[in-house]
Amino acid sequence: MTTAPQNPITRAIWDGTLPIKFSLDATEAAALGAKTIIEPYFVFRGSRGGAGGVYLSMNLHLINRLQMCTYEDQIRKYFVDMALNFIGDDAEIWYDVDGTPLKWHYPIGLLFDLHTGYRPDSNSPPPLPWPVTVHFKNFPADKLIRAQEIDATQDFFMSMIKEADFLRNGSTKKVMNLSKNDQTQLWDGLWSIFIVLFTSFVCILHKCLNNLINCNQIYRTENYERFWSVNYRLVINDGQMPRHIPLRIYLPENCPVIQEPVTPVDENGNQLTLGDVLHQILPDLFPSPVAGENNSTAAPVIHGVIPQLEMPIVWASQNLCYPDNFLHIVVLMGI
Amino acid sequence: MSVQLSDHTDPSPPPSSINANSSLGSSAAAAASSSESNQTIPVPATSFERYKRRDMSKVVVRFRAIGNAPILKQNFYKITASNQFKAVIQFLRRELNYKASDPLFLYINSAFSPAPDEIVSNLHKCFNTDGHLIINYCTSAAWG
Repeated sequence: MTTAPQNPITRAIWDGTLPIKFSLDATEAAALGAKTIIEPYFVFRGSRGGAGGVYLSMNLHLINRLQMCTYEDQIRKYFVDMALNFIGDDAEIWYDVDGTPLKWHYPIGLLFDLHTGYRPDSNSPPPLPWPVTVHFKNFPADKLIRAQEIDATQDFFMSMIKEADFLRNGSTKKVMNLSKNDQTQLWDGLWSIFIVLFTSFVCILHKCLNNLINCNQIYRTENYERFWSVNYRLVINDGQMPRHIPLRIYLPENCPVIQEPVTPVDENGNQLTLGDVLHQILPDLFPSPVAGENNSTAAPVIHGVIPQLEMPIVWASQNLCYPDNFLHIVVLMGI
Repeated sequence: MSVQLSDHTDPSPPPSSINANSSLGSSAAAAASSSESNQTIPVPATSFERYKRRDMSKVVVRFRAIGNAPILKQNFYKITASNQFKAVIQFLRRELNYKASDPLFLYINSAFSPAPDEIVSNLHKCFNTDGHLIINYCTSAAWG
């Protein structure tokens, strides 16, 4: 069995968190018969980067488990009220930010970068905790894919990993050759982050913050090991230069997602940089592959950070990809 | 295992831009020329309009039945590149005369199932084989 790489970058991304404040849609909650005044009901730290891999659909289970597991305060009471009156199924639950539905099959970290449009180099503080509204009715089927159950999230995740593998190798042989155990380990490592987060929430309820920090650290390390010991083999591609880099680019104003076959080296075998790739695909937004020579205000944001344009794209892919093996790049314009 | 999609859970507008072009037949030449009809229209550098504009060019998809899935009379179709993959799913369901409850699974290159909101032009650019986007379909989950 391989061990996870002692890579401070993948580890930092794995440990990244994003505080989110979920509130229920007031109208819907009233219609469901909620008796208490609707207040934003909790803040939890959605893991951000590793958690790029934590998907919103997992919150469906969080909500269910809260109904069962929490005891004595107003928040729990509220959920019990909801539980008695909400007879729809989990697939009816959806989320929005300022009226824009959130795609449950996107990683949360990506959704944050995309929907807040927050530039990490701006002078203002980030909009945290991130306010997200939960809905139980009127599922916007024209904008969102309906997830029937949590397994759908796992299927999407594995399919993305296969799509990434196909881009790197022209086949999905590397993923398909993973043992059943390895495949399970990949998903479990990711899923377990979520269990930890749930635990965190219970801890917050009981104001056991120290306890939370300690247990988080241990679990995070375990899950990092679990996930990355398998993922490392995929991402590093057995040391072979990938044919193409699994990469998606998201532009402002709801532009269609850009995904192209990006080769990591030029015709002379020189490694291309992130700047080269952005310049190739978006020449008007990145007139030069070098940062200092750009008179455009566009900047790539990955995991809430503006990476240097000079980094080789292969390195970026291996170190900054989300757990689905894709490098998700949000392009934001400066002020 | 793959996600099963059904029409009633996904009531987006019908994919009117999918045309069964029977004259296309299996002509590889026609297929090749269709993918060359992309045109770029210059716009000011600060505008995202050019990225929002629908790519009306067509790409060729080729359906291949797997297992006991029914075979289509025609397996080449030209599809508007800016469509989402869900338009392909809905189109195939209609062609097969499948009810919403009938299981149907779609794969690219016998390898993976794209999300329904992936864009056909992206899939075509990344995964085409000799200019054709090969889509396998079956009535039970096949790959993974």
